[in-house]
Amino acid sequence: MIEVEALTKRYGTFTAVRSLSFSVRPGEVLGLVGPNGAGKTSTLRCLAGIIPPSEGTVRIAGHDLSVDPVAAKRALAFFPDEPRLFEYLTVRQHLTFVARIYGVADYEALAKPLLEELELAEKADVLPGELSRGMKQKLVIACGLLHSPSVMFFDEPLTGLDPLGIRRMKDSIVRRAREGAAVVLSSHLLHLLEEVCTNVLILKKGNKVADGTLAGVAAQFSNGEADVSLEEVFIRATGGSET
Amino acid sequence: MIGALLYLRFTSLLNLVVHRIRRLRQPKYLVGAAVAAAYFYFVLGHRPGTGAAQGIAGVPGFAGDRQIGFAIICSFLCLLGLVRIAYAWISPPEKPGLRFSEPEIAFLFPAPVTRRTLIHYRLLSAQISILFSAILMAFLFNRFGYAGGSRWLHAIGWWVILSTYDLHLNGTNLTLCRLREKSRHFLLWRLGAVAAIAAYVAAVFWCAIGLVEALLSGMGSARSGSEHFMEQILDSPALHWLTLPFRIVFGPYAAAGLGDFAAAMVPALLILAAHYYWVSGTEARFEEGSIALAERRAAIRAAAHRGDIPAMGGAVPKARPGPFPLAPTGVPEMAFLWKNLLSIRSSLFSRRALVLFLIVMTSMFIGPLFSAHASSVGSDAMRKLVVALCGMFAAYTILVGPQLARQDLRNDLPNADILKTYPMEGWRIALGELLAPTAILTAILWFLLLASASVLDAGEGAEWLTKGVRLTAVACLGLAAPLVCLIQLIVPNWIMVLMPGWYQASRSRVGGIETFGQRLMFGVIQLLFALAVIVPAAGAAWLIIFSSQWVIGVGPAVVLATLVVLPILAGEAAFGLWWLGERFEKFDLSTESR
Repeated sequence: MIEVEALTKRYGTFTAVRSLSFSVRPGEVLGLVGPNGAGKTSTLRCLAGIIPPSEGTVRIAGHDLSVDPVAAKRALAFFPDEPRLFEYLTVRQHLTFVARIYGVADYEALAKPLLEELELAEKADVLPGELSRGMKQKLVIACGLLHSPSVMFFDEPLTGLDPLGIRRMKDSIVRRAREGAAVVLSSHLLHLLEEVCTNVLILKKGNKVADGTLAGVAAQFSNGEADVSLEEVFIRATGGSET
Repeated sequence: MIGALLYLRFTSLLNLVVHRIRRLRQPKYLVGAAVAAAYFYFVLGHRPGTGAAQGIAGVPGFAGDRQIGFAIICSFLCLLGLVRIAYAWISPPEKPGLRFSEPEIAFLFPAPVTRRTLIHYRLLSAQISILFSAILMAFLFNRFGYAGGSRWLHAIGWWVILSTYDLHLNGTNLTLCRLREKSRHFLLWRLGAVAAIAAYVAAVFWCAIGLVEALLSGMGSARSGSEHFMEQILDSPALHWLTLPFRIVFGPYAAAGLGDFAAAMVPALLILAAHYYWVSGTEARFEEGSIALAERRAAIRAAAHRGDIPAMGGAVPKARPGPFPLAPTGVPEMAFLWKNLLSIRSSLFSRRALVLFLIVMTSMFIGPLFSAHASSVGSDAMRKLVVALCGMFAAYTILVGPQLARQDLRNDLPNADILKTYPMEGWRIALGELLAPTAILTAILWFLLLASASVLDAGEGAEWLTKGVRLTAVACLGLAAPLVCLIQLIVPNWIMVLMPGWYQASRSRVGGIETFGQRLMFGVIQLLFALAVIVPAAGAAWLIIFSSQWVIGVGPAVVLATLVVLPILAGEAAFGLWWLGERFEKFDLSTESR
C-alpha cells in the first residue's frame, strides 16, 4: 500500500532524509519516531506529495507519486500537526469544499456520522475562529476522512486533544487500520505508539536506525532484557541525544 | 519609574533600528531600501523650481493662490480632525481606552506603576511616531509647494499640530471613559458634545459662505486683490474668533520666517500645555478599554499579515451562506471559486448594497444604450468626462486591481501544504485559486465597458461610432477582459511562488522603507508585465482594425481583431497557469524560510 524506496530529501547542502526504504501494508500502523530534526516531518511531507523528494520513489496504493500524483493523492489523507483551516468557511462548508475536491457524491450521508463521531455536529455552522484547537484538529480529521482514504499520514495527531479526544483518536486509527487502511503516524508520544502501532521506524539524522514490528525492534535493542519499553528502546537506538 | 518605561521605549526603538540596519545585509532588503530612498529623494525630497526659503506670501503673483490652497488644506485637515473627534463622541467603544500594544499591556498593567505614569508613557510613546510623521509631512507638503520656508520649521509646526491632536484625542477618550464610569447621563453628555461640534461647524460654514459671497460680488474686476482674499475672510470678526484655536495651532507651521515662527510658538505651546494638563489630570479607569483596543489592533495586524484586507474596526468574521450552491461532483476548480468568493469580507462589501448599486448604475447607463435617444444622456462634456473616468478606472483595475484582489494563492499561502495534498494538477489548483479575483476584476471591467459604451455617441467627427459598432466593441472587449485580468493576476502569484521571501516581507505591515521599496518594485514589475503582454496585443488589434476597416467596415474589423488577439491572450494565460502550477508543485515554504 505504501512503498518507499531510497527516499532522499535535501535542502541545499543539508540532507534531511537519506536513502530511506520501507513499506506499510494494509492494516498496518507504522510509528515514525526520532529525535527533533531526525527528518520525520520531511519524510511525511514527501510521502504526502507536499514536497518532491530529491531522490527515490514513493508508491501510494500502487501509484508512483512522481508519475501519477493525482491518482496517488486521491487515495491518501495527510493530517498536519497544526490544524490548517480556511478562516471564512464553517465546519459544514469545509466538508462541502473537500467533497467537491475529491468528488465525494454522497458526502452528506458520510459527513453526518463523521461529525457526530468527532463531536462536531453542534458546531457545524460555526467558523474555525470560534473553535478550540482540539475542535479544529477534529475538523481537519473529518475533512481528511471524508473521502475514505486507504492511506493516512498523521503528524503528531494528538496535539491539542482532550483525554476523551485522545482515546477516540487512538480507537479511530486502530479501527481504520483494521478496515484495511495503511497508516503512518509520527509522534513523540511513545506510549501512543506502543498502544496503536504494529510497526515502528526509528530515524536519526535522516538515517533509518531501526525498522520492524514493535517486538522485533524491542528485541534488537533489549540486550537480552525482558519487557523493555519503547521509551528505553528509543533512547538506546538514538544514543539518548538529539544529535 | 518613568525612566524604566522610557528605557523600554528607547531600547525597543534602538533595537528596531539596529535590526533594520542589520537586515540590509540581505539583498532583498538592501535593494528595497535603495529603491525607496531613490523614490523619496527624487519624488518627495526634490522640489523643482524653488531655491531659498520663502514664506507663504513671499512669491509675487502666486502668493494669493498659494494662500488659498494652504487655507483649503488646513481647513480640510481641521475638518478631518473634527470629524474624528465627533466620531469618538457619536460612537464610543463599549470600553473607551488608550492605545497600548499587547506586550505593553502584559508587562506594564500588572507592574507597580500608577495610571498617571501609564498615561505619560503613552504620550511619550506616541511622540516617536509623531516626530516621524512631522518630518514626513514637512517633506510631503514642501513637495507640493503650498508653503515655502524652512523644512525644519515646518516639521516643528507639524509636530505642534500632531501633538495637540494626539493629546486632544487621548483627552476625549479619557473623558469618555470617565463619563461612562461615573456619570448617569453619559448619553446626554455625548449628545451635548456632538451638538456643540455640529453647531461650531455650522457657524463656521455659515460665516464663511456669507463672506465669500459678499467678497466675490464686491470684488468684481478687483480680482487682483486675490492675495488678500483669504486674509479678508479670516480677519472678519466672527470667523476670526471661531477659527482662533485652529489658527493658533497652525500658526508655527504657517509662519513665514524665524521671527514669526517664534511669536506663533508661544500661544501654540500654551494650547499644547493646556491639553497636556487636561489629559494628565483626568482620572479614569482605561485598562479594560485599552485591552479591548489592543486586541482589535492585533486582529487587524494579523489580518494584514495574512494578506487580507483588514475588516473595519477589526471585526470578527461571520459565518455566511455560500455564494452559490456547490454540488459535490464536477470540476474541482469551482470549489476554489466558491471558497474564495466566500472569503470576501462582508464588512467591506455588503452584497445587498453592491447588487443595488450595480442595478441602479446599470439602469442609468445601459438603458440609454438600447434606447433610440442615446444622445439625450447628458451633455457632450459630461459624456467625455464619464468615458475618461471609466478609462482611468479600468486602467486602475487592470494595473492595481491584482494587488488588491488577493483571494487567490496569496491568501492561501499558510494552507499551501494542504492544497498540495489535493488530487489535482498544479495548474488546476492555480486556475481554481485565480477564478475569484478574475471574476471580481472582470465584473468591474464589464461594468465600465457598458457605462462607457452607453454614453458614447456617434457625434460630429465620429459618425462611424454607431450603436452596432459600440455593441460589437463592448462584446469583443468583454471577451478579452477575463483573460487580461487572469494574466495580470498570474504576475503577483508568480512573484509569490518564485520569491516567497520577498513576498512575505512585502505583505507584512511592519516593514519600514525597505518593504515600501519592495512594494514599489512589485508595482513596477506588474506595470512592465502589463505593458509587455497587453500592449503588443492591443497594438496588433489596432493595426488589424485600422487596415481592414476600409474593406470590411469597422464592426467586422473589430471582430476580426478580436479573433486574432483572443487566442494570443488565451495562450499567454494558459502558459502562465501551467508555469505557475509547475512552480507551485515544487514550492516549499519551509525551504524558503531556512
